[in-house]
Amino acid sequence: MLVDAFLELLNLWVLVAALVGIISGIIIGAIPGLGPTMAIALLIPVTFSMQPIPAIILLLGVYQGAIFGGSISAVLLNVPGTPSSAATAIDGFAMARRGEGGRALRFALYASVVGNIFSCLVLMALAEPLARFALDFGPAEMAMLMLFALLVIVLFGGGSKLDALIMVLVGACAGVVGLDPISGTPRFTFGSFAFENGFQLIPVLIGLFAMSEVLLQAFDREALVGDVKVPPLKSSVVRFVELWRMRMTLFLSSLIGTFVGILPGIGSTVPAFMSYSLARSRSADPDTFGRGAPEGVAAPEAANNAVTGGALVPTLALGIPGDAVTAVILGAFMLHGLAPGPFLFRDHGLEVYAIFEALLLSSIPTAILGLLFFRVAIHVTRIQPRHLLPAITILAIFGAFSVNNSLFDVWVMLGAGVLGCLLRRSNFPLPPLLIGLILGAPFEQSLRQALLTSGGGYGIFVGSPITIGLVALTVLSLAISLFFNLRKPRI
Amino acid sequence: MRYTRRSTLVLLTGMAITPLAAVAQQDYPTRPITLVVPYGAGGTTDISARQMATMAEKILGQPIVVENHPGASGTNAMRAVASAEPDGYTLIATTSSPSFVTPALRDVGYDTLADFTPIMNYSGPFHGVVVPADSPYDTLDALIEGAKSGAVTYGTAGAMGGAHLAFASVAKDTGTMLQHVPFDGASKATAAVLGGHVDAALVPAYRDLVQDGQLRLLGVLDGTNDADFPDAPTLKEAGLAAEFPSIVGIMAPAGTDPAIIAKLETAFTEVASSDGFKTFMTDLSQPVRIMSGDDLAARIEENLAAYREIAKDLGN
Repeated sequence: MLVDAFLELLNLWVLVAALVGIISGIIIGAIPGLGPTMAIALLIPVTFSMQPIPAIILLLGVYQGAIFGGSISAVLLNVPGTPSSAATAIDGFAMARRGEGGRALRFALYASVVGNIFSCLVLMALAEPLARFALDFGPAEMAMLMLFALLVIVLFGGGSKLDALIMVLVGACAGVVGLDPISGTPRFTFGSFAFENGFQLIPVLIGLFAMSEVLLQAFDREALVGDVKVPPLKSSVVRFVELWRMRMTLFLSSLIGTFVGILPGIGSTVPAFMSYSLARSRSADPDTFGRGAPEGVAAPEAANNAVTGGALVPTLALGIPGDAVTAVILGAFMLHGLAPGPFLFRDHGLEVYAIFEALLLSSIPTAILGLLFFRVAIHVTRIQPRHLLPAITILAIFGAFSVNNSLFDVWVMLGAGVLGCLLRRSNFPLPPLLIGLILGAPFEQSLRQALLTSGGGYGIFVGSPITIGLVALTVLSLAISLFFNLRKPRI
Repeated sequence: MRYTRRSTLVLLTGMAITPLAAVAQQDYPTRPITLVVPYGAGGTTDISARQMATMAEKILGQPIVVENHPGASGTNAMRAVASAEPDGYTLIATTSSPSFVTPALRDVGYDTLADFTPIMNYSGPFHGVVVPADSPYDTLDALIEGAKSGAVTYGTAGAMGGAHLAFASVAKDTGTMLQHVPFDGASKATAAVLGGHVDAALVPAYRDLVQDGQLRLLGVLDGTNDADFPDAPTLKEAGLAAEFPSIVGIMAPAGTDPAIIAKLETAFTEVASSDGFKTFMTDLSQPVRIMSGDDLAARIEENLAAYREIAKDLGN
């Protein structure tokens, strides 16, 4: 079967499709606001007349390429191209500011490849049993998992825990705006129809990270007088030993990414931050995190790329997509006569395994194209801010508008930009705000769903082995954090 | 003299305008048509509308540009199209929810009946009442019976959707404890019923999971039977006074020239009846259901009234 499937790939069109997909993915991912969902949706009509295998490979190439591409702008400009690369920006940009942008990009690339290969292998070996396992996560389990994720971000994300907590709560409060997830009534919409949709993630992300960067630099009086000195580019060699030393980080991050990817509805941003926090807490030298630690780049990149394989597990094995990207991919599979669901592996095993093998092998062109792309992209760090900032502003406005073709989103983006600028000036961390916004609404919904199914009884949150395990993990992390806090010498 | 002059002017103007108006209808379309889709790119509504557009532009002789305007369960797009110029160059491919479900619940800024002229209906996915394979409920009756002695939970794609309201009215009529659990999209509700976290779910796209034996189909919410499962009764056949008919149709802003509407109806109906479109929709697991513009208007009017009644009962 595996050999037959491989023979299906020996076709010039498959190679062309993979290359076109990956290249367009990397470019689209690098532009803030244009995520994989839009790229795939726009390319679906292009694939109508293609054979199923090259068509799907093209679209999955876009998916993989875009997740990776987001890290390029995150590292070089501190502007995450996709929400999932916001974690990469923390240490990646710090490295770039030292002139080590090339090294940071290579760490990101190699970690992406590791995460991708890991999750593809999992997908090939265990798609069906894992899809079954994902179904055990009902509302109560999801609520406890999200609570744990929020706690990990607050406790182990670095910096002041109080600051992080405040930011998480601000984000969660922003998530309240819109339609109530249970009763469907408008909340905090002030009678405006535009608010019913709530604050969308992409405009907020672009505002918080890209627009605020522009505002910060624009109002920084010294920086713009004359030419700004840019750091000289340093060698970007990454030796194998360096990667080998972080093998546990790469493994754990890939595991987190794959696992969270399998569960519907969390996406790739949260596992990226969870992996970052975990890598930081396991590190012998946690203080280097945030100041340009290569592990801080590798961990989130391995995780957010591993999500792609994980997210395909329930999509293909059950026909249940976990997020917008996989929903679009599901549509593409159906259009090409490969209806995802319980019959996919039985009826189209050959095509499916060919696609999986292509996903695995596409790591090779991704790595080659990535390295070529870096040679050009690295020079972005040498562009003068007065040239760069207007370009970022245009991209930010364009990106925010393109999500829903709505001017309201542009205002949200600008508002988030001003807020982000103020928060950064006062040294509040932005990532917890983003995580609060992403998880706040689904956490509320899962919590209330669980209580609806249990008839209002709180026992449901310790009612299954999974919830008990998650509650135990939550308590344990709190205890560990408290223990280290108490042992810290008082000043 | 004055009288004659004025009448001549009127006459001349009239003569000048009449052929222009006639030409405008005959020549329509003379420029690209925009077809708004109220959901994001890549969903089934979007994909089928794009195919419809690609096939119809060959008949109409002008490009049809599909524009996605997602958000607020489709009401944003409906509001935008309602206020668009009624010249036949802005159309919308819409579904049940923004046509007659949400407008029955709250002010959405448009009136489907007054602000739109339906052109035709071409699809509409069936919503099924599904339970896990190991569920104690074998029929709709058994499910309702079970809900008399204790709460039975059911998941849907979201709060105040058509499926939720249909079952809320069933619960009221039968005096049973059917507890609604809204999810964020139909696929998550399907996952929850597969995992046994809710007792039942009201979702579309159930075919393969039912045929594989992972889910059991007790009935459909539509007014007609699903051709793939002729044995699954409609709610009315099972003796329950509710239904959630699903529409996917094309509408134009009210006030569009009837000649243009007629031309569009002919073109889109020709596409929807073609074998090519049917094959395409089968690949997408969507039914082709053709209805004339007048029938679609009647269907919307009827359901809008029914849903207003249900909403009133729910205490909104």
